[in-house]
Amino acid sequence: MLKYALRRILGMIPMLLLISIVAFFLALAMPGDSFSGEIDPNNTDPEYIEEMREKLGYNDPIHEQYFRWVSNFVQGDFGKSTKYQIPVKDLILQRLPNTVMLGVMAMFFTYIFAFSMGIYAGRHPHTKMDHFIGGFNYFLLAIPSYIAGVFAIYFFSFQLGWVPFSGSVDIAVESGTLDYWLSRFYHALMPSLILGALGTATYTQFLRNDIIDNSQKDYVRTARAKGTADSKIYNSHILRNSIIPIVTFLGFDIVQIVNGALITEAIFTYPGLGQLFLTSVNAQDYPTLMTLFVMFSFLVLLGNLIADLLYGIVDPRIRVD
Amino acid sequence: MEVVHNKDTQTQSPTTKPSKSLSPWAMARRKFMRNKLAMISLVYLIILSILSFLAPFITTADVTLVNIGQMSLAPSAEHWFGTDTSGRDVFTRLLYGGRVSLFVGLSCTTIILFIGTLVGSIAGYFGGTVDNLLMRFTDFMLNFPFLVFVIVLNAILFGIVSGLWVLIGVLSILGWGGVARLVRSKILAEKENEYILAAISIGCKPSKVIMKHLLPNVLTTVIVQATILFAGMIVAESGLSYLGFGVPQEVPSWGNMLSASQQPNVLQNMPWVWVPPALILIMTILSINFIGEGIKEALNPKSFR
Repeated sequence: MLKYALRRILGMIPMLLLISIVAFFLALAMPGDSFSGEIDPNNTDPEYIEEMREKLGYNDPIHEQYFRWVSNFVQGDFGKSTKYQIPVKDLILQRLPNTVMLGVMAMFFTYIFAFSMGIYAGRHPHTKMDHFIGGFNYFLLAIPSYIAGVFAIYFFSFQLGWVPFSGSVDIAVESGTLDYWLSRFYHALMPSLILGALGTATYTQFLRNDIIDNSQKDYVRTARAKGTADSKIYNSHILRNSIIPIVTFLGFDIVQIVNGALITEAIFTYPGLGQLFLTSVNAQDYPTLMTLFVMFSFLVLLGNLIADLLYGIVDPRIRVD
Repeated sequence: MEVVHNKDTQTQSPTTKPSKSLSPWAMARRKFMRNKLAMISLVYLIILSILSFLAPFITTADVTLVNIGQMSLAPSAEHWFGTDTSGRDVFTRLLYGGRVSLFVGLSCTTIILFIGTLVGSIAGYFGGTVDNLLMRFTDFMLNFPFLVFVIVLNAILFGIVSGLWVLIGVLSILGWGGVARLVRSKILAEKENEYILAAISIGCKPSKVIMKHLLPNVLTTVIVQATILFAGMIVAESGLSYLGFGVPQEVPSWGNMLSASQQPNVLQNMPWVWVPPALILIMTILSINFIGEGIKEALNPKSFR
């Protein structure tokens, strides 16, 4: 297992290099450059502009610029945001807790819904409720998250007034108090429900089918012959076996949350990393954009790595490759 | 095939009328026709496409016309679905939007299937170094967060290529990884069969083996994948347009129409602007999914309905 894990982790290095190259050249190919954000906008003297260009290294050969960027990046210096005029690192650290909270809550909702529906449907297959759950999931899978989000805002924020439709926290509350955390939870509730609904259908169907498969196996028959209660068979014997393959989905969840956060945060104007990325594209804020691009790609890479490693733990055959 | 078949039935019972058994495709078609949900979906999609592609003949209103005098009107006899904040007729935009959204979905699906099948079949058939190289590249493409990459590429190409083709190109270039993987795995399994060995041993060229012998046998997988892709690409197009990174703002598409709901006033007080595109999108995606399920069911020889 250790050898497999090491090989898999080492395999990530060329991928990371490629990602950094792609990020750098994408930023280079985009219209305009970050230069104009770093100089005094009122001074239009060509000599001054040329001097600053030279000083900030925009006239250096491309590969030198690339290496400078990478070495700074590795050392944790991501440059300065041209839009907000603060270091990108601080900007990201400001937004990161919001996105992490959104992601964790979304996963929590996914698990709660998927487990309750999947376990019920698996235990009572081909009943009316099972068909209803199946249909509901089918519907959930078909509705794009931005449409669900728009309807959610319309009904729950505007018509019923239950939840706020934008922001991550009330301005009035003081940071650190219980009210503050409640307000943050309250603001993240709707976006994370929408984001969590994305993954629910896959989990539910998988869990249902796995429970039905398992319930016909010999060990279940043995348990039943011994007189074990049905609830115990389902809750401890079968569930324990059905959870194992589901663990491997965890890695893909990270990928899905990265993609989903982008849209969900935009709908709810929730100030997280996804929204920061969209504004940085619009404002041509290259230092921020490149950092986030690398970060998101790294997260996807990490998600796939986690999925592979967990597969390796669950299914030993994968390790021998 | 046909001739042999007729001879068979004639020798069996020359007097009674020969009962002709169905070809696999006819069987699949019959199974599909019996699937009510899939048939309703198919009819819905056909009507929707006809309405969208005949849009210039159905509505006389100008799609791009900004009419200050008729801003934000509620639905009436003159404007069936009302008008938006720029005074444009929502019904007209809905039809034209369908044109754009379906067109983007269809062209992306076609291009993705082409690239994916090409890469997948070459990698699967030749194996070895070719396979390794192509699949590493595919992994590389799949390792980027799709939406993030699409948005950045779209921003770069926006000034260079005009109109719809930017989005179609970007979505297609970044979307073929999954199909390539799928086709490769199917080809890998299929090429172990003896008929492939026979074809190679009588001197068929690799291109012929792939085109004539291998691809028809993975076709069913590709068709089912096509429906999933089609729905996925429509979702991607409208999602990106909703965010403002899809088709250009002035082009009516369902996603662009939905993005009007980002203004709180429109969202709260003018549901006729954003509800129709939202409902039509959901129905379209659902019906494509139902058709996909129907095809999958129909092409599965193990299922008898």
